[in-house]
Amino acid sequence: MTSNLWKYLKHHGQPFIGLVLILILGTLLSPHATDGTIVFLSSGNLSDVLLQQTEIGIIALAMTFVIIGAGIDLSVGSVLALSTCIGALMLTTWNQPIIVAIGAALLAGALVGALNGFIITRIRLQPFVMTLAAMIGVRGFTKWMTGNVNVDLAFGDSPSGRFAELFSSKPFAIALWVLLAVVAHLILTRTVYGRYLRAIGENEKAAAYTGLPVRKVRLAAYIGCGLMAALAGLIHAARSHQGNPNDGVGYELDAIAAVVIGGTALAGGRGSIIGTVIGTLVLGLLTNVLRLHMVDSNLELMIKAVIIIAAVWLQRRGSGLHGEL
Amino acid sequence: MWLRILLLFVAGGFTVSCSDSQPSPYRYMVVFSQCNNSEPYRAAQNAEMKRLWATQPDVRLVVMDAQQDSVRQIAQIETAIRLKPQLLIVAPNERVPLTEVMGRAKAAGIAVICLERDIVNPDYYTTWIKVDNYAIGQILGQYVVDYLTKKNGEPRGQIVELAGLKGVEAEIKRKNGADDLWKKYPKIEIVTEAVANWSQSLAKDRMTEILSAVPKIDVVYGRNDPMAVGAYLAARERGREKEMIFVSIDGLAGDSGGVHQVEEGILSATCIYPLCVDKAVEVGARILHEPGFVSEKSYTMPSTLITAQNASTYYK
Amino acid sequence: MLECRNIKKHYGGVVALNGVSWKLLPGEVHALCGENGAGKSTLARILCGITVPDSGDISLEGRPVTWLGPQEARGAGIGIILQELDLFANLSVAENLAIGNARLEASGWISPAALHDAARPLLHDVGLDVDPALPLDHLSVSQWQLVAIARVLGLDAKIIFMDEPTSALTDDAVERLFGLIRRLKERGVAIVYVSHKMNEIFRICDRVSVMRDGEMIATETCANTSIDQVIRQMVGREVTMTRGQRTSELKLPLLKIESLSTRKLRDVSFTLNKGEILGVAGLVASGRSELGRALFGTSPVTAGSMQLENRPYRPATPHDAVASGVALVPEDRQKEGLVSGMSIRQNTTLASLSRYSHGSWVSTDEEQIASKNILSRCRTKLADEELPVSSLSGGNQQKVLIGKWLLTNPKVCFFDDPTRGIDIGAKDDIYRLVAELAGEGLGVIWVSSELQELLANAHRILVFHDGRCMEILDAATTTQEEIMRLATGHRTPLS
Repeated sequence: MTSNLWKYLKHHGQPFIGLVLILILGTLLSPHATDGTIVFLSSGNLSDVLLQQTEIGIIALAMTFVIIGAGIDLSVGSVLALSTCIGALMLTTWNQPIIVAIGAALLAGALVGALNGFIITRIRLQPFVMTLAAMIGVRGFTKWMTGNVNVDLAFGDSPSGRFAELFSSKPFAIALWVLLAVVAHLILTRTVYGRYLRAIGENEKAAAYTGLPVRKVRLAAYIGCGLMAALAGLIHAARSHQGNPNDGVGYELDAIAAVVIGGTALAGGRGSIIGTVIGTLVLGLLTNVLRLHMVDSNLELMIKAVIIIAAVWLQRRGSGLHGEL
Repeated sequence: MWLRILLLFVAGGFTVSCSDSQPSPYRYMVVFSQCNNSEPYRAAQNAEMKRLWATQPDVRLVVMDAQQDSVRQIAQIETAIRLKPQLLIVAPNERVPLTEVMGRAKAAGIAVICLERDIVNPDYYTTWIKVDNYAIGQILGQYVVDYLTKKNGEPRGQIVELAGLKGVEAEIKRKNGADDLWKKYPKIEIVTEAVANWSQSLAKDRMTEILSAVPKIDVVYGRNDPMAVGAYLAARERGREKEMIFVSIDGLAGDSGGVHQVEEGILSATCIYPLCVDKAVEVGARILHEPGFVSEKSYTMPSTLITAQNASTYYK
Repeated sequence: MLECRNIKKHYGGVVALNGVSWKLLPGEVHALCGENGAGKSTLARILCGITVPDSGDISLEGRPVTWLGPQEARGAGIGIILQELDLFANLSVAENLAIGNARLEASGWISPAALHDAARPLLHDVGLDVDPALPLDHLSVSQWQLVAIARVLGLDAKIIFMDEPTSALTDDAVERLFGLIRRLKERGVAIVYVSHKMNEIFRICDRVSVMRDGEMIATETCANTSIDQVIRQMVGREVTMTRGQRTSELKLPLLKIESLSTRKLRDVSFTLNKGEILGVAGLVASGRSELGRALFGTSPVTAGSMQLENRPYRPATPHDAVASGVALVPEDRQKEGLVSGMSIRQNTTLASLSRYSHGSWVSTDEEQIASKNILSRCRTKLADEELPVSSLSGGNQQKVLIGKWLLTNPKVCFFDDPTRGIDIGAKDDIYRLVAELAGEGLGVIWVSSELQELLANAHRILVFHDGRCMEILDAATTTQEEIMRLATGHRTPLS
């Protein structure tokens, strides 16, 4: 058992080290609250970080699948905004019950994902181009649908108030993320689908020659990504208590950064959900450490950039993919 | 490899934490959560906030910039709550999204001041330092009535309005304040209203179109300084800047602020939109230092009309 | 002329070269042979500056040298033709010939006319008759190989390394290459010829060095040794060169192809019987690989019909083909066959994964048993199934691919040049395996560039030329000469 764990850490341990570093750094650098406790390590603060990273974390899970399949999805930020607005409109203007609002928002996300996947696999547009177009188009659609006006949720005992309370509650959001991460991990490592996805991402031609359902597998990855972005959108709507057609800008890049820090290769084929979860946590904890230290939020971006480069570089060193021509 | 980096981090961490752990000279921590640093009005607030708190040696002020992102502001306030400050001053980016988290701050025993903008539930803040945009609109409207009376012998004239982002509270109230006053004078006519979204360059474009369509204009009312200045630039290009006066609201200090534009003669008048910071610091300091102090639920800041007569005294 | 002493190279924990010393004489053609993984390609790469050795000395014309990169070795007059072609599919033939050529790129400007002028004599030398402006991806694998050779000629090198240069070449192109090698030799160019192919080595080489397990076993003049001796030295044991036994085929039609046409095939008809090994001969781009694509659903059929066990068979995708019991072992192992990041086990079970899964969950235990069994049946030599498939030698990789298809229980298996670039021991294993499979009733279509291989193993041989099936020959009675004549288009096709 211990030898297995050691073996696992030896091969997949790089992201863990990053996480441990950030935790050590956070603890050492943590300011003390005015009552003298170490703020960083308080369960309140750490669970705040988890909650704050839930949206990116959930998107990053699905993004891991897309990237392992040698694709990319730039439209997730726009899909998130679409989902917040559809959810909010359903709950307020259109007076629908909570379950219908959730269903409609998720369906919208899945449809965008299906459109992405369909055009990428059938018309063979490059994923970057197609999802870039979707990112622009979905954003436009969302603004048009709402007239570019935020849709506020109500407070108290209305459907929208109850929805916001549920989806923004710490235990619910964090448990949802953890559950999805476990499911994603199992799909990637234990199912036929996961195996096919990695084969296709590594060598699409060989996968096709093996008779694998290449199109279906890739399509499913994009649908999943749209679905997860929409789910993140529901949490976002609850947390910000409104549907905002201008929210979620840049979320695709944060999600991709989390995936990359977690050791997933952008070229496809290789990657892990555990890495992605850690990548998400590293980004969140880093922001938290800097925020606790009142570091200028613009500086935060520069430090993030350094972390991304350092993480990927160190992983490459670790895996010995260097030095050979 | 990793070990070396680890050691480096740990060593670095220790150095910083040691230098950090000296006994703090501050008794109080005040967190100011600013919705967006990049507007001149917000920058002026930040500067004033820092200047005023600096006079209180036992207070440590922390300013956080939410970069016009409600979710980011929520997260920043969540982190701020963990620092357990005594006072939290928030300029909310939006009313609804910030409501819940500010309620949490107040529930955690932190005094919460709403700066300029408020949130949905008044129970979730201690006090709100506000500005009455409607009253400001009326002050400016009265100035225009006086000007037209003097110019034409009676309150008569043609007015062009440049509007900010439609649906925003400041836009609605600034408009209604002036318009309600002008409705009493049948010979004052609002010829047209163009939407320029608070932007100087958009205002210049809109004004250029208006100048071609409207032969005679007496007054241009910009709902903020930059839009009025944009209209002035458009009129000057057509050589018509002497035909009309330009009035606006904001009255920011500094070289590019409205007060200076009045001094330069570009704007005829601007109504100062108060930063609210002085009151916030005053009330905040009393909350910190006077145990029995109970603040009002809100304070309304008075405004001042800046014209050529008093501009130099306000321009610093 | 070029000499190395005590070269060592490790990859991780694997010893690739263990203290190799070796010497190249001026103007000789020197064969480097050994089974795959013996270290001959690594040695060639070190001597050409592509790979940096861990230790050891290299000297050129008596002066010690240290290559910091292939560019330096090239500057010193050492060129290499690599096994995996280092060419650019998106560039034209002429641009490929010029790229990295210091003389042609000296000014930083590129004139198409000058490039084409420089390209023509080089193409003529290798006997490649194509427009220099043609993008490389319009060319066949064989023509790629010729471009790679022409490119090295353009460097005016004093020493040329050729790593398996004939593995992708058709027999007539091989003849032209040999002519070229002789001419180069007359010009005083020394050539290092890395190959498995004994007849080639003994036809054109002056001396032969044999490597095994990262060590230099022997260097002899060809006159003083023999094929048998070299093979003994390569494998370190006696191998009998017996080819697979032809089992008697059953006269039960399995696959019936009638007037099949695709973009590259014209009017092809034949019948494959149960238990038959049907050889397919032809030059590269003659349509022999295209036949596999049509059978496997990757190249749309434009006319004609296919029947599998008397039922119409028309696969739209490889997925359909696999479901119908057709398997294809592709020509290009790396690009079309293997998923290099995955383990040996995962590659082996990739085509039949649903058999070891319940619902969509993979049962690793069942998977391991299946892959272990099939790999041992294919005589795959491996340390651990969980290692990446890229850790295997070429021959063992090929066995993994064959094993992968056998796990799908196919009825028809199309092997596209399965022994290309693999060592003798592995070839022998594959011959035996295919014969065994045919004995069990599998229908085998076997494309090969080596005619002897077909003559020894197949029952009948289809000969392709220019997209047509020229003739179906009985392997027992035909000759290499007859096949070559048909393959080069010297008889009208069968009605």
